[in-house]
Amino acid sequence: MTEQVSEFLESIEEKAEKGRLLYIGENVARVDSLEKVLGKPVYTADLVPRGTAYAKLFHSSIPHGVIRGMELAAAKAHPGVLGVLTWRDIPGVNESSCILPDRQLFAKSEVRSTGDIIGAVVAETWPAAADAAASIKVEYESLPAVFDPLEALKPDAIKLHPNGNVAKQMRIRKGDVEKGFSQSDLVLEKTYRTQFQDAAPLEPEMGMAIPSGDGGVTVIGSMQSPHHTQAAVAKVLNLPLGKVRVIQAVTGGAFGPKSDETPFDVCSTASLAAVKYGKPVFCSLDREDSMIMHTKRHPFIIRHKTGVTSDGLLLADEARLVSDTGAYASLGVLVIMRATFHCTGAYEVPSVKADSYLVYTDNTYAGSLRGFGGPQAIFAIESQIEELAHKLGIDPLEFRLKNMLVPGKRNATGALMDDSCGLPQCLEKVVASSNYWEKNSRYKAQTGTVRRGLGISLLMHGNSLGPEGNDYGAVHIEIEKDGTISFGTGLTEYGTGAVSGMMQVASSVLGVPLSRFKMERPDTSKHRESGPTVASRVVVIGGNAALLAAGKLRSRLDAVAAEMLKVSGASLAIVDGIAFDRRNPSTSVSWEALVAESYRRGIKMDEDGFYMAPPAPWDPETGQGTPYLQYTWGALVAEVEVDTETGWYRVLGVHTAYDVGRAVNPGGVLGQIYGGTVQGIGYATMEELVQKEGFVINPNLGDYYIPTSMDIPPEFKAYIVEVPGPLGPFGAKIIAEPPIVLPAPAIRNAVLNATGVSVDDLPVTSEKVLMGAKQKQTQPSL
Amino acid sequence: MNVNGAEHSFHVDSTDRLIDVLRERMGLKSVKEGCGTGDCGICAVLVEGKLVNSCLMLAAQCDGRRVVTLEGLLDDPVMKRFQGSFVANNAAQCGFCTPAMLLAAWDLAKHSSNPSTGEIKTAISGILCRCTGYYPILDSIREGCRKEARP
Ligand code: FES
Ligand code: FES
Repeated sequence: MTEQVSEFLESIEEKAEKGRLLYIGENVARVDSLEKVLGKPVYTADLVPRGTAYAKLFHSSIPHGVIRGMELAAAKAHPGVLGVLTWRDIPGVNESSCILPDRQLFAKSEVRSTGDIIGAVVAETWPAAADAAASIKVEYESLPAVFDPLEALKPDAIKLHPNGNVAKQMRIRKGDVEKGFSQSDLVLEKTYRTQFQDAAPLEPEMGMAIPSGDGGVTVIGSMQSPHHTQAAVAKVLNLPLGKVRVIQAVTGGAFGPKSDETPFDVCSTASLAAVKYGKPVFCSLDREDSMIMHTKRHPFIIRHKTGVTSDGLLLADEARLVSDTGAYASLGVLVIMRATFHCTGAYEVPSVKADSYLVYTDNTYAGSLRGFGGPQAIFAIESQIEELAHKLGIDPLEFRLKNMLVPGKRNATGALMDDSCGLPQCLEKVVASSNYWEKNSRYKAQTGTVRRGLGISLLMHGNSLGPEGNDYGAVHIEIEKDGTISFGTGLTEYGTGAVSGMMQVASSVLGVPLSRFKMERPDTSKHRESGPTVASRVVVIGGNAALLAAGKLRSRLDAVAAEMLKVSGASLAIVDGIAFDRRNPSTSVSWEALVAESYRRGIKMDEDGFYMAPPAPWDPETGQGTPYLQYTWGALVAEVEVDTETGWYRVLGVHTAYDVGRAVNPGGVLGQIYGGTVQGIGYATMEELVQKEGFVINPNLGDYYIPTSMDIPPEFKAYIVEVPGPLGPFGAKIIAEPPIVLPAPAIRNAVLNATGVSVDDLPVTSEKVLMGAKQKQTQPSL
Repeated sequence: MNVNGAEHSFHVDSTDRLIDVLRERMGLKSVKEGCGTGDCGICAVLVEGKLVNSCLMLAAQCDGRRVVTLEGLLDDPVMKRFQGSFVANNAAQCGFCTPAMLLAAWDLAKHSSNPSTGEIKTAISGILCRCTGYYPILDSIREGCRKEARP
C-alpha cells in the first residue's frame, strides 16, 4: 500500500464509530439493483433509437485457407441493404487485437479459423442484414490445418503465424528438480487435460455507434474495458482518440470475453458503418455467432512429474503446460503467465521447473475467462496431489496439511508467505462444515453400487494484474449541489457489484450512506483510463483510488463542518451524512446544509483519485519474485454420489471458504461465491465447447449446457475468512474470479474417492466415470 | 392483443416474433433476448397467465390474448415484494435474467404461498442465470412468497 493510502486510512480509522468502519462490512443494497428489478431500458439493445441500421458480421466457413474471391452482389442488391463492409472499407489499421497484433478485424487474404470475420452486411433491419449475409459466397483455397496444440508444436507443423506457432513461452526455475527427484521415494508422472469453456454471458456482445458531427463516433456497448475499446475503434477508423467516445451500457454479464477482442469487433464494425452511412448502426452477435467468434477458456494439457518422500513431503515438481489459444493469442499471452505462476497451486514445493507454451492452432480462438488460467492450473495440480496421496496411502487431507502454504513457506515463484495467508483458516472451516473426518472414514467402508465420496481442493490466487500490466485505477467523485454524490470511474460494472464495492469505500470515508450515491456510466470522454476491468481488481485497486478521492473531499468538508459547528476537527464526526460534535451530539449539521455552505464558500466539490499499485517484480528467466502483491486463499470440499453401474453421479454438497481479506460487502462476496462456484460446477461436470476439425459443433445454449436451477447442489455452505492483505483498502482481497477455480478438482477428486476412477480430463462426465470403472474391472490387478 | 391490461391492435407479419413486437413496437424493454432459440428462457412473458418464451411465439398467435410483461406489474403488490427481496438478497447481478425470474416468481406465488425449494427450482428451471448461481434467487422467491402468505 502506498504511504498516501495508509495515511488516509489511519485518519479514517480514527473516525470509525464503535470500532468499525462505517458501511464497510455492511450488506448494503447495490446502487444499480433498482433499475434491474424494474426492468428499465439500460442495456445496449434497449437504447437503440429508431432509424438505426443493423450490422451483421459474417465469418469464415473453413478453418484454414486463402480467400480467392467474394460474391457480394446478391447481398448488396438485397432489399434494405445499405452495403457490405470488408477489409477494403477500413480507413485505418485492419486490426482487432489486444496484445499481439496477430488478428485482423476483417480477414484480408488468409483465414485461420472458422471464427475469423470476413465482413459485415449493413441493412435497415436485422432480418434483412441476416438474410443478405446468408447469400454471400466466399471462395477459398483450403490450406492444411492443425487442431491439436501438441501437433502444432512439432517442428514440421505448418506455420500459422510468421513467428511460428508458439505465441508465448513462460518458465519457472526454482531449486534443482533433478536433485529433488533423486531424493524422492516416489516420482509420479501424469497428464491432465481441460476443455474449451464458453463464458456464455446471457447478453451477447453488442455495440451501437452514432456518428457525431465532427467525423467521429459515439459508441455505446456491452463491454468490460471502454478505454481499450476506444483505442481499438480509433485505430480501425484512423481517428484521433478525441473523436471516439465510448460509453459502457449496463452489461448483461461478461466473465472475461468482454474484456477481450470481441467488443472491439462489434464496436469497430458499428463505427465503420455509422461513419460510412451517416446514421446510427447497431452491431450485435446472436448467440451462435457469439459462441463461435468470442474467446473461450483455453484448453490446457498439463503434465506434472512430482517427487515426494514416503512420509508425504513434496520435494520437486516438473510441469509442462501446453495451451491451445486457437488462431489468435488475444489475452492468452497473460493467461499462460497466470497459469504458470499458479502451477504448483497452494503448496510449497522446494524445487520447481515449469515450461509453458501458448500455441496457435486452427481452432476458434481462446482468451480471457473468469479465473484466467487458474482453473486449468489448479485442476491439474490438485488432481496430481490427490493421486500422490493415494499412491502413498496417506489421507488426501493429511497430505495437503503437510504441504500447503502457510505463513513462512514459499510458493513456486519463491515469494515468502506472510501473515496475510489465510489458507489454514479456510481449510479448517470446510473440514468442519463438511464433517470431513467422520464422513471420510464412513465412506471408506462403503459397499454396494451407489457410493459417496469427498474431494478437497485448495486455492492460491494472485490478486489483481500483477505482471499482466500496470495496475492502476482512477475515480472521480463530485458532490452535487443537492447533496447527491456522483461517482465516476473508467472501471466497469457488469454484474459483479464491484463498482458498488468501491463506492462503499468512498461512502465510508465520507460518512454518507451509499443511497446518496449515483453511479455514472463509464464514459471515455469523462473518466480517466483505469486499466482493464479484469482480474477482480476493482475493489482492491479502484477501491484505493476511491479512498483517495473521498479522503480529499472529506478533509475539505471537515473544515467547513468544524467552522459551522464551532468544534475542533478532532471531535468532529460525520455519520449517515450528519456532521456533529462527538462531545455534544445534539449540535449537528445536515448533509444538505454542509454541502450548501461549502458551495457558498466556493469550495471545490469534486475530486480525482488515482492509485497505482507498486510494481510486482519477478525475473522472467526464472519466474522468481513477487508477481502478485497479495493472494486470495480458498478451500472447497465437494461431496458426490456415484452410481458405479451407470457412471451417473451428482454433486450432493459443496463446502467452501475464501479468505477475502476484508469483506467490503459480505452479501456481494457471497454473491460472487455462489455464482462462481456454480459456473465452476458447470466447468467440472457439463460444459464443453466442442470443436471438431475447427468447427464449433455446439454453438448454442441447447447443446452447450450450463447449469440450471436443477443442477445446483442441494447443500451449499460458504464461509468468509478475513485475514487482511497489504494491498487492498481495509485489507480487502479480490473474490470475483477465485470461486470458479475449486469445484472442478474437488469434484474430480470426490469421484475418485467414491469409485477409484481417476478422470484426468475435464469435464467429469458420467460416461468417463463409467468407462473408467469398466477399465478398472478389466485391468488385472498387479 | 391485450398487453399489460391495455388493448392494442396493429398489423403484424406472419413471421413477426412476439418478443420483437413487445420490444420494438411497444417499447417493453424488460423483455430480453439471450438466444432466440428457446434455450435460455430470459425472454419469458406471461400469455394468458402462462409463462412462455416470447422468442418462440409469433405475435400473430397472441391475437386476442392477454400478454403481461414486468412493466405491467410494477404496481402490483406481490411483484413489489419480489423486487424488494431480489434487491435485498443480491439476486440481480447483471440483471439480464431478472425480469424473467421475477415473472416466474410472481407466477409461482399465485399458486403457492409456501413453496418448497424443489418447487421454486422447478418454477425457474427454464430460465438460465449465469451470474448468481441461483441460490440468492431461490432465497428471494421463498421470502417473497412467504410474505404473500401473511395477512
Ligand atoms: S431468448 Fe427466448 S429462450 Fe432465449
Ligand atoms: S443476474 Fe446475470 S444472468 Fe442472472
